Amino acid sequence: MMADQNTQIPSMSTSWTTLAIIVVIGIFSLFSLWMGFQALSSDKPEQSTYYLLTGTVGFAAIGYMFFRTKTVTTQKSDIPQVDVVTILECPSCDLKRVRDFKRGDYINKDDEPCTRCDGNMVITGIHRRAEPEKKPRQ
Amino acid sequence: MFLQVAQVLGQDSDIGMILQTLFSLSFIIYLFYAQRIQAMTMLRQVEVTLRKVKTIKDEGRRVSIEMVNEVGKPGRDPTPDVDRFLEQFVISPVSLDPAGIVGKLDQLINVSDYTNEAEIRAIAPQATETEAHNIENLLGAAHALNYYYKAIRHYYLLGKKTMNVYIIMQIHMILPLIIKEIEATSAAIQAFRNGMPIGDGVGPLVASKLMRGHESIDVARETVAAWVPYEGRTLIMLKAKGPGGSVGKPGDGVAKILGDDEKEKKIKAVIMIDAAGKLEGEPVGEIAEGFGAAIGGVGVEKYKIEEAVKARDIPMYAIAIKQDISNVIAPMVEELHKATDTALESVHRIVTERTKEGDHVIVAGIGNTMGIAQ
Repeated sequence: MMADQNTQIPSMSTSWTTLAIIVVIGIFSLFSLWMGFQALSSDKPEQSTYYLLTGTVGFAAIGYMFFRTKTVTTQKSDIPQVDVVTILECPSCDLKRVRDFKRGDYINKDDEPCTRCDGNMVITGIHRRAEPEKKPRQ
Repeated sequence: MFLQVAQVLGQDSDIGMILQTLFSLSFIIYLFYAQRIQAMTMLRQVEVTLRKVKTIKDEGRRVSIEMVNEVGKPGRDPTPDVDRFLEQFVISPVSLDPAGIVGKLDQLINVSDYTNEAEIRAIAPQATETEAHNIENLLGAAHALNYYYKAIRHYYLLGKKTMNVYIIMQIHMILPLIIKEIEATSAAIQAFRNGMPIGDGVGPLVASKLMRGHESIDVARETVAAWVPYEGRTLIMLKAKGPGGSVGKPGDGVAKILGDDEKEKKIKAVIMIDAAGKLEGEPVGEIAEGFGAAIGGVGVEKYKIEEAVKARDIPMYAIAIKQDISNVIAPMVEELHKATDTALESVHRIVTERTKEGDHVIVAGIGNTMGIAQ
């Protein structure tokens, strides 16, 4: 039955095994690159291709592993919640007020009494709170 | 030390030879198993998405049950009823002989709507009309999430079972689009639970702005209309009945209003305002004007409007308010809220430029009217 299904958010963080593999590949790749540069300056420069290629592939693999891990861990799996505001306007004195959305609010609803006159404020808008604009990079 | 290790691993040494053999072997392995490795990589990505979708659909189900309990106050546990609703399906009519298929679809949709409404009344007896509509919408979103999960799981398990790259590719290729749709549907959960206006509500919002202060009457199921004077003309404003989540029956509404006007023939134009999908690069809230019936869905309501308008041979104008798929059923963004004022200006301009004083014009705000009264 569906009620028995597991509702826990799956843990996708990097395991110790993955980290160990990354470290081992890293050491071997570094060593391979060092061997490649050594071979370049030695009397057998043709051997350098093999070592440099191995080292580069190793680092590429590490980069890919990190990239994949980051993608997975940043995938938060919960339902998005956004801030929503309610705009109230008084039809008599044009007073405008913005407050947080409350359950039961709807557009054209006669809401709270106006604080400036005897009229009732009407909900004229409900929308997501505008996110602050990101500053452009200097 | 490095020099010593280098001597041990050098190409002339035994270990060096082993390494080189392994390196060559890996190439040969890749030659034969490249497709399998690719299939495994793709399966892994599908699996990650599947986990994410499972969490979202479980949350959708949990919120639905919670809302039914909270506002409906049923005397029993609504979980089995909610689960039954999530597994509900509708079988499309046969289209081998397409003549009359619209009528069949209409009947099918009506049966489904009336049955769901009655079932929600039964599981949430204390809910108001507005809350019952919101529960229906919420269950609809949870139903969609459940279906997405099952479809992805089907291809994932089938792909895993067969390791056939072409089966896995079918789901892998459309995964980004599916994720986008799932994220959009998950954003609806908050809106439907609290009865907030959504992006699709821009059409009804434009209509409600003109209807404010005017008496409205029911013209079709969950559809209201108000007669609003404007610069010597009469605007017949039509929208779904709010503030509960509903799209109404605008097709029936337009047909009824045009039918009632059959003798006087005062109605000279129909203007429809609806949300429209934007292309990448287009800003959210951009207004575009065109011709034809601006209405989505399976096509039944569109057919009814087109038939009714064709019978009277009057022009039909469309105003589209552009938005991304992620905006459609999520709480309305400020850009869309502001765009309704621009759309209102477009309505006024079309009315003054393309009709004469004394004319009547139907202005239909199409979309889900959740959180928007008339």
